[in-house]
Amino acid sequence: MSLLRADRVTRAFGSTLAVDDVSLVVGPGEVVGLLGANGAGKTTLLRMLLGLLAVTSGDVALLGGPPDRDRRRRMGYVPQGLGLYGDLTVAENLAFVTQAYGVAPPPLTGRLADQADLLVARLPLGLQRELSFVAALSHRPDVLVLDEPTSGVDALARAGLWDTIRAEADRGSGVLVTTHYMQEAVQCDRLLLLSQGRLVAEGSEADIVAGTAALAIRSDRWAEAFAVLDAAGQPVLLSGRAIRVAGGDEVRVGALLAEHGIEARVERVPGTIEERMLLLARAGTG
Amino acid sequence: MKAMILKEFRELRRDRRTVAMLVVMPLLLLVIFGYAANFYVSSVKAAVVGPQAAQLAEQLPPYFDVTEVAPGSDEAGAEQLLQDNQVDVAFVTGTDPVLALVDGSNLFAAQSIVASLNKLGDQVSVQILYNPELTTSWVMVPAIIGLILTFIGTIITSIGLVREREAGTLEQLAVMPIRPSAVILGKITPYFILASIDMVIITVLGMLLFDVPFNGSPWVFALGAAIFLFVVLGLGVFISTVSQTTGQAIQLAFLMLLPQILLSGMIFPLDAMAAGVRWIGYLLPLTYFTMISQGVMLRGASFESLALPFAVLSVMAVVVFLGATLRFRRDLAPGRRAARRRAPAGTEA
Repeated sequence: MSLLRADRVTRAFGSTLAVDDVSLVVGPGEVVGLLGANGAGKTTLLRMLLGLLAVTSGDVALLGGPPDRDRRRRMGYVPQGLGLYGDLTVAENLAFVTQAYGVAPPPLTGRLADQADLLVARLPLGLQRELSFVAALSHRPDVLVLDEPTSGVDALARAGLWDTIRAEADRGSGVLVTTHYMQEAVQCDRLLLLSQGRLVAEGSEADIVAGTAALAIRSDRWAEAFAVLDAAGQPVLLSGRAIRVAGGDEVRVGALLAEHGIEARVERVPGTIEERMLLLARAGTG
Repeated sequence: MKAMILKEFRELRRDRRTVAMLVVMPLLLLVIFGYAANFYVSSVKAAVVGPQAAQLAEQLPPYFDVTEVAPGSDEAGAEQLLQDNQVDVAFVTGTDPVLALVDGSNLFAAQSIVASLNKLGDQVSVQILYNPELTTSWVMVPAIIGLILTFIGTIITSIGLVREREAGTLEQLAVMPIRPSAVILGKITPYFILASIDMVIITVLGMLLFDVPFNGSPWVFALGAAIFLFVVLGLGVFISTVSQTTGQAIQLAFLMLLPQILLSGMIFPLDAMAAGVRWIGYLLPLTYFTMISQGVMLRGASFESLALPFAVLSVMAVVVFLGATLRFRRDLAPGRRAARRRAPAGTEA
């Protein structure tokens, strides 16, 4: 049974196709990650699934039908902008949401409990996100839709939010989450990779990166090496002092570095999701 | 500095609302002040009653536009005509001198009539009803009540709704299991209540500070205010549907407020305006609320005698409020409407 479904959905803004012929299904107990660079069409797709934006063609279904009031009652949504009232307190925000869903407010725990009477606008972003999660989960939804839910949150808080997401899936909820944090993508059961509005890959992390290779370059003069490769238009990424070139032609990269007298160890390694996305983005703009 | 000036012009060129204001406002002000800003009343509606009504009607100068000649009627009948706002002055014949009853709630016309009758000396005895001292504040306070309701209804309501859009909470409301009508009603009810409280405070303060009378039924007044509030709240909702930011909402609301202040008859008498702009005044809701508030407070006018402004305001309330809320519903979740259209019968709850 699908909790959330898009069937060959397209959305055009003028002559631009923001989402182009995308299909997806989210089932119970499943965490599906929607990946893509900024502008790939993730939020547009999400807004169509929620009924906030009309599809140009195709069909969307929430819990087997159109997103009417009864079905929306069984859904939780954490928008990128959080959807909280900055001039209401933590407790007042929660009271409003739970009243709308006709449930009792859940007891606040941890730091949120200490800040219950503080205006939301004065809370740090991490706590605002936490509150947004608590509000979205207060009615124990069957479907959870999360748009960049951990954006701007520190690593520890992010781990905590992902624990919550996993717990919801274990309870049987279907979760659709958009992210551009690659470290988070691996926490999903299934990934969908969007690039320029099109679904370009689907499956596990291994499925997504299958066939993607990269060059790992180590050099004492790493900064110069990076500058040289970047200037030469190579799809180069920096992780600490390690340089990676997505795809990457060993001979060409070696020649570029040698040309500038930079000694380096160049090694072919399996690619990452981020490198796959980088290559897709470059293929699109090239 | 040159770069700054250039940047400003480029931004302005793309800000169509501001450009519209730059073009429309001067034109609007020119037209209004050129054609509407006129305190001089050139003609007034008159009735003549009593045994010599026909003779007197013949003798009156053309300044008095005699719309009613009733030889069988008397002073009470003449007063009724004034209370129903059918005429500005009523001459009662059969007494010596002739009695001229003047409607003081129509300030500029009354001032003009008194000045004109004073020239006749002892031939006419002048009695000003409803506002004997022709006090400006007595006429302004009922109109200002309408202005305050307009301010809250359009500006404050539209800002409240647009703020939800700006903060992204409108999207959150759209995915919650709340009916769009409940979102709209829940959003405007507090403003309706606040505007009503404000209206009571201003009315009472106006009576205490300026001795403005309240001669009519408070219920008729309250009904008129409630219908008028629906119109202005509808305007506020409409403004919110065409504004993305608070700044845009304020801009538009002021564009709607300005003609109401200048062309509703609140400052310049409608009868004195050039016909070319007077019709704008008759399209504005504040014009009709002012008729009701002045009528009830000063003349003690009955609901029946205010049937026309009530009818016009009611039509405006239905059209504006329904139109605006339907537009708001459409904007709230356009995808849902599309999905409903495609859904087979019976799948929608």
